[in-house]
Amino acid sequence: MNPLRDAWQSIVRRDPLSTDKGKSELVFLNVWLHIHPAKVRKEHFKLKHTWYLGFITFFLFLILVTTGVALMFYYRPQSPQAYQDMKDLRFVVFLGPFLRNMHRWSAHGMVICVFLHMCRVFYTGSYKKPRQFNWVVGVGLFLLTLGLSFTGYLLPWDQLAFWAITVGTNIGSYAPLVGSRLRELMLGGHGVGESALLRFYVLHVAVLPSLMVLLTMVHFWRVRKDGGLSRPLWKLKPESSAPLVTIGEAANPELAITLVPAARDKTYGLMEVVTGKPLFETVTEEEEEDTVFSYPFAFFREAIALLATVTTVMAVSLFWNAPLEELANPAKTPNPAKAPWYFLGLQELVSHSALLGGVVVPGLAVLVLLAIPYLDSNPSRRPAERKWAIWAFTAFVVVNVVLIVIGTLFRGPGWALVPPWVHVPGVE
Amino acid sequence: MSQQEKNNAMNRRSFLSWGGAGLAALWAAIGVSLGAVVRFLSPSVYYEPPLDFKIGPPGDFAFGPPTFLADEKIFVFRDREKGFAVASAVCTHLGCTVGYFQSDASFHCPCHGSVFRGDGSVQHGPAPRPLEWFEVTLARDGQLKVDKDHVVPGSYRLMV
Amino acid sequence: MERIMPKLFFALSLTALILMLAAIWQASAPAWKKYQQEFYRMEAQGEPNAAAKSAVSTAPLTIRQVLLPGLQRVDRCGTCHLGVEDPTMKSAPHPFAFHPNLAPHVPSKFGCTICHGGQGLATDKENAHGQVAFWQEPLLPKDYIRASCGRCHKEGDVPGVPELAEGRRLFETHGCRGCHKLNGIGGSIGPDLTEEGAKRRYPQWLEHHFLEPNAVSAGSAMPDFHFTREQARALTFYMLSLTSEQMGSYYSSVRVIPSATYGRRLFVEKNCIVCHSIGGVGAKGGPDLLGVAKQHSAGWLDEQLVNPELVYPGSTMPAYDMETNARKALIVFLASATADDARSILSGRPRALNAKDAAIEAGRQSFARFGCVGCHGLELQGGVPNPNSQGGEVPSLLHASQDYTKEEVIGIIRNGKVPPLADPKKPASPLYMPSWKNVLTEEDINRIADYLWSLQPKTESW
Repeated sequence: MNPLRDAWQSIVRRDPLSTDKGKSELVFLNVWLHIHPAKVRKEHFKLKHTWYLGFITFFLFLILVTTGVALMFYYRPQSPQAYQDMKDLRFVVFLGPFLRNMHRWSAHGMVICVFLHMCRVFYTGSYKKPRQFNWVVGVGLFLLTLGLSFTGYLLPWDQLAFWAITVGTNIGSYAPLVGSRLRELMLGGHGVGESALLRFYVLHVAVLPSLMVLLTMVHFWRVRKDGGLSRPLWKLKPESSAPLVTIGEAANPELAITLVPAARDKTYGLMEVVTGKPLFETVTEEEEEDTVFSYPFAFFREAIALLATVTTVMAVSLFWNAPLEELANPAKTPNPAKAPWYFLGLQELVSHSALLGGVVVPGLAVLVLLAIPYLDSNPSRRPAERKWAIWAFTAFVVVNVVLIVIGTLFRGPGWALVPPWVHVPGVE
Repeated sequence: MSQQEKNNAMNRRSFLSWGGAGLAALWAAIGVSLGAVVRFLSPSVYYEPPLDFKIGPPGDFAFGPPTFLADEKIFVFRDREKGFAVASAVCTHLGCTVGYFQSDASFHCPCHGSVFRGDGSVQHGPAPRPLEWFEVTLARDGQLKVDKDHVVPGSYRLMV
Repeated sequence: MERIMPKLFFALSLTALILMLAAIWQASAPAWKKYQQEFYRMEAQGEPNAAAKSAVSTAPLTIRQVLLPGLQRVDRCGTCHLGVEDPTMKSAPHPFAFHPNLAPHVPSKFGCTICHGGQGLATDKENAHGQVAFWQEPLLPKDYIRASCGRCHKEGDVPGVPELAEGRRLFETHGCRGCHKLNGIGGSIGPDLTEEGAKRRYPQWLEHHFLEPNAVSAGSAMPDFHFTREQARALTFYMLSLTSEQMGSYYSSVRVIPSATYGRRLFVEKNCIVCHSIGGVGAKGGPDLLGVAKQHSAGWLDEQLVNPELVYPGSTMPAYDMETNARKALIVFLASATADDARSILSGRPRALNAKDAAIEAGRQSFARFGCVGCHGLELQGGVPNPNSQGGEVPSLLHASQDYTKEEVIGIIRNGKVPPLADPKKPASPLYMPSWKNVLTEEDINRIADYLWSLQPKTESW
């Protein structure tokens, strides 16, 4: 009868959150939250298993989109206004330096976290059947992250930006057949200039973010359909041997090899029924304790991950300023001219051999990365049973890190090996 | 099971108190951020000609009919008894630049025929408001300074 | 784990709130606001009554900027330097002090950085003064600010800045172009100096470089010209003026200073003395110009220069294509020109030469103009050190006619010559004779050879 309450209930149509029904409806009646199951198993949210890296990467992306749109109000992708706009953001715009810093540090953070997330997924063997294709989607997201970082790197239009992209696009042009054509398409010319700035801007604010969002949707959907977030199955207590009825496509008999029987994963097509007697005997008593409502268990943890990410980025942005060098000058090459840090490993390889180091090795690396779930026939996820895979991947990670460290810290003018503690006179 | 329930009970209470406080802090942070966004979007500098500017020493301006400054779109009046006054040359109807006619000591707008009297008030035509008069002061270096951000009544004069 | 979740949530939410407030506080308290508050407090003290005092001390705090699209600059110096145009602030402390002698370069039309240097876009002291990394135009020290006059006033003699004209004269007479290109003309042994003023606005470095080239540029082959301190300073001023400023139409139109010195230079350039006389000294083709500025108005004289036929139908005076300010300068000169001026102009003109002497004179002028004296010396004595070349130095050319045939010399000028090495194992000598065939015409090269031959006529072999 109360018109205010009626109005409220026309908007919020679920039962109160104090009831079980309400907790479930919060999830499956809500457009933003219904990717979650209404109830989750606690194992899916073990901090030391996933480190919440996927969440953190996604949250960093959200920070990047928000701060990026804010920055768009004050930035023109034209030479030389772009540089002047960077100066205005630094000196004149309210919260300009803070927002720019947040954007820059989130970007670096996202590249690091997406890589760490990939490592975590590998080390926990979470790419194995039936999750193989989601790994491929993930590698796609990783490459998109690098692409977004690379296109954004040019936008300040300072010496750092100009020459990093010159080096980066030149490395790309070594690809056989398509390399130079691709470079010309990206740059809209033969070198980095006005056209390149505009194209990189469009890629950075429209094309790549859209692709990122589309692939992210696929990625999250598949995580849900493949049985939810990764859990450390080999560490858990053995479940009871009560007979179970499986519903939907959730049966995974292969996992029976470990101490864990067939998992009941949350992939039901039906909404979970929570009032009254369950229609099916789907869970054992022990499992009942491990299964909780997403609200508040999962959402709390996600909120904390979000807050931790945001506060860390804010704290860093308060104290450390993103760099801005002099206006881009095509006539003056800094020595050494370095690609952005995540491509420095590549630049190091290229310095040894353009074809082998710039094309063959990285190309093979990406192909192998994409094919990992299909090359790996070992169904076990236990570290003890995958020693070779773990060593191989670790070697890959270490080599990447070492190459990047060499490129960043140990290469001086003329790409000569100069330890970082030695000061070379005359270098600006 | 009862031990479990006790733990859960702890959780519920602490959830409501700490959780509620956390939510309050979060809403406060969001509110503050929204305010900050509005301030962020408000320009601190304008890439436009400045609203206050100098037009030269008093001696540059003749008595009698006003001097028209085209770039600044103002009329500078100088009266022997009363001093200086500065009127806007922008018609209040739709923004065209009016012209001053000495024959009838009034401003005529070429666009839709509005006519303003010598004191800026509307004589006839579609203009809804009188012409604006701007504050004019004497700066410390002896030049006249006009401030379009300060609109003054038509009776305002600067005696030099 | 469960139990700390709500507390952790609260802690992080509170942290987020605090950090947001910290960011807002950081953004709301820039240093320039304090300077403005201090200034308004100072100004309020000078106000007569309480109402005026409060009006001033509560003035809004804003960033003040001057937009200069014609100069492609934005200057925000006025945010802190608030007393620049206020004569009552003569003895105010910095940054509020009054700036004397501003006219005609008023801040609303010229800003500040075009003369003083610095980073106009910045709003804090350190960045605005430009003495930071990645800004190439730091604030000029007081002694060198006048060098900035040369950034716009390029051809005229700038009153009050004799160093600019002196620097240019030294540059042209000491053969700098032999190694350095300027505006497309010159050698390639040293760096191109066309934009030196834009690339290197560090006066102390430049001055030190002229006094001791090798001390600031290790391994440089630039010889020590033994410049005095004053000469080095003049050259530094000239270097600082070598920029290519973006100038809108307003600035281009007022760039030329209509001074009598410039007017005299135009009078000589346009050869007016060939038709006119001043006070009886000169030619009789046109009227005498003594006191002409008293007989005719400036407007009349100006029109005469633009369109002589209009003033005197049937006049044979050509219509010279001169800018407004150039014409003004000429008229300013004529206003004070006397017969003595005409005499000195006449004596400065080269005497009539026969064809052979004219060719030699042309060769001598080319020799100086293209910088040959830079390496071969003002007296052609050579002597500039050239490590690891045979002889160890740039050769003298006084005896060129003895040591070579004319064809050999022409060939060397045309194609260049790398000096033979004293020790082939050591690195090549830094200095070499460049090839001039793309810069000089064949005629020029022949004339230079003629000039060299004129120095020491080939002695008859006995």
